Amino acid sequence: MPQIHTLEQLLKATALVASAISILILLWYLARRPPLGRMTKVMLLFGLGVMPLGVALTGNIAGFEYTLKRDFCGSCHVMLPYTMDAMDPASKSLAAVHSRNHNFGEESCYTCHADYQLFGAMTTKVNGLKHLFYYVTEYANTGPYGEGGKPIHMYKPFQNGMCNRCHSTTAPSWLKVEDHAGMLEDIRKGEAKCIDCHTGESIHPRAFAHGGNGRPPASAAAEGKEAQP
Amino acid sequence: MISKLTIRRLVLISTITTLVSLGLMVMGIVFPTPLLLVLAMSLGQLFGTLSLALYLLAIVLDLQGVGEHDEIAPHLGFEGKGAGDAGGEGEP
Repeated sequence: MPQIHTLEQLLKATALVASAISILILLWYLARRPPLGRMTKVMLLFGLGVMPLGVALTGNIAGFEYTLKRDFCGSCHVMLPYTMDAMDPASKSLAAVHSRNHNFGEESCYTCHADYQLFGAMTTKVNGLKHLFYYVTEYANTGPYGEGGKPIHMYKPFQNGMCNRCHSTTAPSWLKVEDHAGMLEDIRKGEAKCIDCHTGESIHPRAFAHGGNGRPPASAAAEGKEAQP
Repeated sequence: MISKLTIRRLVLISTITTLVSLGLMVMGIVFPTPLLLVLAMSLGQLFGTLSLALYLLAIVLDLQGVGEHDEIAPHLGFEGKGAGDAGGEGEP
């Protein structure tokens, strides 16, 4: 029997139990077609109202929780070069290093890419709908890693705030880096972007080398190596 | 004319719509792919809300006593269509 370890699993189990109860009540009504007496009305109120509301509520929360996970991002094949690298324990890319940090863990994509602002979670999810639209309309027939699709890019420039949530720019070890210390004020003001130096190639090298993000492969050798995940 | 049969049909439609809605929501939970999740959270909940609204409408009509006098309506000179339908599904 599957064990329940997380809130998401508990919510899913609750939603499934509630939906099973609801379906049983509705099937009972369809099979028996009893008169609409008081008892039938109360039963139907549970089957049509209370239980489905419970399913919707718990299912929504569980669904939103799942959309934070890297597995969810990787369920669109064009994201595989990104997520496979992030999951690779041998990879030294920035995405993989951060994913090995338990504060990012399974939610490393969302932790770095969610909008850092008021209602950031909502705007991120709205952008997610745009992702889905583009995936269905433009990338559904691309290669196993998205080869042949249009170049994948972010909707807006990556903000320093995403990095500064953890890298506060005050830690001695961070300030020891010569470039950090030299551009400290610019970095804090956002005039110098973290990704100007820590570029996409260093964050998601497999995607950039592979060409799976729509860009041409960095080299044939790299492509040959990366084609065997 | 709204009759008891109409009320029962409303409940029947509501029941079937709820089953469809639950199917979509359960699919979103069991197979949480992006498309199914979006369907569960949009169409699934739209159908669910619609079916609950239909059921509540049916209950309100029932509580107002709609169609209760369908059987005697012809004798009183009301020949509404619903009068002939009343009890068509074994309504007691």
